[in-house]
Amino acid sequence: MSDDTANTPHSPVTASHPLDTIEFAHPSERVAAEILDFYRIEWQYEPTTFPIEWDAKGQVIASFSPDFYLPEFDLYIELTTMSQKLVTKKNRKVRRLKELYPDVNIKIFYQKDFRRLLQRFGMAAEEQPLREGGGIVAKTAEGPEADD
Amino acid sequence: MSLVPLPDVCDAVLLDADQIATRVAELGREIVHDHRGEELRLVTVLRGGLFFLADLARAIEAPLTIDFMAVSPYTPGRGGVVRVTKDLDDDIEGATVILVEDVVDTGLTINYVLSMLRARSPGRLEVCALLDKSARRIADVPVAYRGFRAPDRFLVGYGLDLAGRYRNLPFVATMSDEALGA
Repeated sequence: MSDDTANTPHSPVTASHPLDTIEFAHPSERVAAEILDFYRIEWQYEPTTFPIEWDAKGQVIASFSPDFYLPEFDLYIELTTMSQKLVTKKNRKVRRLKELYPDVNIKIFYQKDFRRLLQRFGMAAEEQPLREGGGIVAKTAEGPEADD
Repeated sequence: MSLVPLPDVCDAVLLDADQIATRVAELGREIVHDHRGEELRLVTVLRGGLFFLADLARAIEAPLTIDFMAVSPYTPGRGGVVRVTKDLDDDIEGATVILVEDVVDTGLTINYVLSMLRARSPGRLEVCALLDKSARRIADVPVAYRGFRAPDRFLVGYGLDLAGRYRNLPFVATMSDEALGA
């Protein structure tokens, strides 16, 4: 979920690494990683940083690192569990990424998407205090069976 | 018109029983047309696809068999990986298999089931889904037969559930945001 301005590519971190060795930027990312692991989907956490803005000297001044890359589907996934009104900046970055890299497949999961995804897997979502990063996190609840 | 009332947790009927029946009959005819001379194996993953499978099987005027499998659901915090908890009873090697699903949402479960079935070397393997909800699709699942494109809403009825309930509704309904705590 980071959208740093560094231009240093991240080292690929594959699912063969235990989840505990990865410093996820937000608890929701860990839940997403657990779900992907459960369904045996190979994933990489922030494997690529895409430069999206340069200054007059050609120096990168803004870049974007989608949360996950799924090699099997050649798909990047960005989780944005902040409230909708706070995601404008993120939307702009995703839009810019699509303009600059039209061959890159990226899907953004907003708070309501993540909430429904959690419900599909039998989890409820609860608001997280801003001091703990904000957004929503998963909590166990009743839900449907995984037969989608 | 269904006499079954809309549960309080729902805000509208998305597809009534007549709409579903009409589309299922059409799908049955399409499948017969595309598979002349083939004996079909209809397979579904318990339990959501049960009602659709039952109706679709009766809409296919051709020889067929039905079979069932089940997979373990994701349980938060427990780790582990998806596994088959009830396997098919019949061998599918060389057979024409149609995986019948109530809904394709993220595609994660179906992607796993398809990989399991492919490993058994069926002659042909296709997906027939009553509902195709692509908004949160992660796994790129090929849907050969689609009943309806579904909106990005939480749906119950005609096999779709919330905590095991509402599967027996004869229609598909959208759950209200209030009921979902959104």
